[in-house]
Amino acid sequence: MARRIIFALLAAILIAVMLSHARSSVPVTAQTQGVYDAIAALDSGAVVMMSFDHEAATIPEVGPLASAIADHCFRRGIRVIGLALFAEGNAAGHELLARRAAAFHRVYGTDWVYLGYRPQYTAAILGMGESIRDVFPADDDGRSLDSLPLTRRVHNYHDVNLIVSIADGSMPTYWVEYAGARYHTRIVAALSAVMVTSYIPYLGSGQLAGIVNGLRGAAEYEQLLNAPGAGARGMAAQSAAHALIALLVIVGNVEAWRLRRRSPKWNRKPS
Amino acid sequence: MTCSLCRRFSISAWLIVLGLAANPSSAWADGGPSTQTRWFNPERTPELVATLVVVLAMIGAAIWTERRGLPHIRRLAPLEAIDDAVGAATEQGTPLLFTTGWGGDMGRPTTMAAMTVLSHVAGRAAEHNCPLVFPSHDPVVASVAEDTIRQAAARAGRPDWAHTAEARFVSQSQFGYAAAVDGLIARQRPGAVFLLGSFEGEALVLAEAAHQSGTRTISGTDSTIQLSFFLVACDYTLIGEELFIAADVLSGGRAAVAVRALDWLKYLILLLLVAGVLLLVTTGRDLGPFLAR
Amino acid sequence: MPALRDRLTVSVAAATGAFMVVQYFVNAAWSDGVYRTLLDWMQIIFAASLVVGVISVLRNHLSRAISKPQERWYSLILIVSALAMSLLGFAFGAGRGSSFLWAFDHLQAPMQSTVFSLLAFYIASAAFRGFRARSGESAILLAAAFIVLVARVPLGESLSGHASSAADWIVNVPALAAKRAMLIGIGLGMVATALKVIAGVERTYMGRR
Repeated sequence: MARRIIFALLAAILIAVMLSHARSSVPVTAQTQGVYDAIAALDSGAVVMMSFDHEAATIPEVGPLASAIADHCFRRGIRVIGLALFAEGNAAGHELLARRAAAFHRVYGTDWVYLGYRPQYTAAILGMGESIRDVFPADDDGRSLDSLPLTRRVHNYHDVNLIVSIADGSMPTYWVEYAGARYHTRIVAALSAVMVTSYIPYLGSGQLAGIVNGLRGAAEYEQLLNAPGAGARGMAAQSAAHALIALLVIVGNVEAWRLRRRSPKWNRKPS
Repeated sequence: MTCSLCRRFSISAWLIVLGLAANPSSAWADGGPSTQTRWFNPERTPELVATLVVVLAMIGAAIWTERRGLPHIRRLAPLEAIDDAVGAATEQGTPLLFTTGWGGDMGRPTTMAAMTVLSHVAGRAAEHNCPLVFPSHDPVVASVAEDTIRQAAARAGRPDWAHTAEARFVSQSQFGYAAAVDGLIARQRPGAVFLLGSFEGEALVLAEAAHQSGTRTISGTDSTIQLSFFLVACDYTLIGEELFIAADVLSGGRAAVAVRALDWLKYLILLLLVAGVLLLVTTGRDLGPFLAR
Repeated sequence: MPALRDRLTVSVAAATGAFMVVQYFVNAAWSDGVYRTLLDWMQIIFAASLVVGVISVLRNHLSRAISKPQERWYSLILIVSALAMSLLGFAFGAGRGSSFLWAFDHLQAPMQSTVFSLLAFYIASAAFRGFRARSGESAILLAAAFIVLVARVPLGESLSGHASSAADWIVNVPALAAKRAMLIGIGLGMVATALKVIAGVERTYMGRR
């Protein structure tokens, strides 16, 4: 019964906040600043590889992260090569990059290219270190990489300035272990919040240059770009949910304390 | 037994060393191929040293085990709970559900360790004639599980039981897989659920589904973040490396040699940590950049 | 014959494993070629295994639809959905503006997001159940969790200016130290297992013990 009440309360609060279009601002953390700085430090014309390593399920959470990072790149004239190592991230990634590129009037082939999806991520990540053409002979629409001005000069990670893994699972680990350790590529991760804690050790060791953490990270990034969007909206709902959970923890403990006080063991006088 | 084990590890070491020594190669500069010829990339010295240390530890542990026997391993409550769980499921007439999570394929050591536990569970289930369901996100894992179950049934003297067990691929998608396992738990109400392997965001969905159905849950994973969910929602949890140790214990014999090697390596890491701290405090020199190179 | 097959499998695994270790440290033309070929094979095997997987799912559900009346409708929905998506993709393409993509965006993604969103509800219920101050240790855990929970959203900042730095300290110092210790153990366990595969001791990947 208690479980059903909790579920109903949480659903009601989340729906109410989302419908109210409330936005929330948050202080920017060093993790998000790290990603922002890594992109801000690149010259116009530099190449960023955005890998959509997520499933369809997490699009509502990682979509705002990816949009904010793509906006930052396109705004600064940085070129973007998109790809997906999960089949479900492929369609979402292509659509997102096309939408953000159009918003900044970026031209396909010159300012951005989308390579598509390749299965077996280990082999794909390692293979691109040797030759991107070995793994992706053509872009997502079947055009040869040599026919596109951007990819004509990009052969392997040596020609890529930064890799951004937009993920809801363990994929950034593989980027770090294979692309980072083997080819010394600079990597940042944009993650769904449930996975972030796993990657904090990689920040300390410098194997990741930064992490954008779930909706909160998206809200922070939007603040840095001075363009509040889906992240800020989602953050208001998340704040309300955290407040409810905190309240539930307090209620649960008070209730447990009350029950313990009533129990015979509590009331027994010391002999 | 262990002599052949020493030989195996030594042969592996020689394979690696000979490969290195015989290589007439061109090596690379930072990030890309170069024409310069080198047989060994000095930038990878720390990794080579670490690899050789681990190989030596395994050979040493094999020799040690041959002379002094297998190491004593403390009891692991989740392992001891397996027999009870199988017994309870058999009494209730409900199946067992075993899954290795969405985070690992067959190349991941965690999945291999989980398969060893599956072999033990399947053996017990075969003895008790208790049905077993194994849903997987990976067709290769599902087919290895099928083979593991068949072998375990044969070892238990019940090869026919293997036909009643189901090892199947359900979906490659993370939450498609979670929904499929959730559905199985809700419909079949298994007597015990085993969540052992590499789990990601789906961990809590599966553990809570099992908890809500009132089933006994035994879990174990190498994913540190998901461990916190398992500890809250499951009855028994193998924490991190305990899953590998459990697999070694269940394999018995040769595989358990690794337990001693792991202990030695941990002592070595502890020693390095203390030496690193002392070096930093006394001389101001940091070992970190060398090791992280 | 099975013994010979096992020996062959173990030998191939040992040689491939040892090769992958060696090629990490060197970069000869021959090792580069073999390495690239192995990577190609990995992708081919994975793609082929998916085809096998899809066929096995369809076959499995077809037999369930026939033999298990209580699960018939679930299986039929799966078969029809799988065939419909395949038909849309193969017949009309999967590019932008296609019906396949429409079905992906408006059916598959929301359904999967729904399962993902269950996490929020389960976390709330698990927190209610699990975070109880039953002892000194659990009280410390509860306090730490409470600080991190509140400080991760603007609510924490409004309650105290130090909330965020306190949460960062908890996550980056005690929690990270424990996590690193666990990661070291897990990493060693993984390396040991990999070595056992190369040495032919670990044979679970072929269904053996």
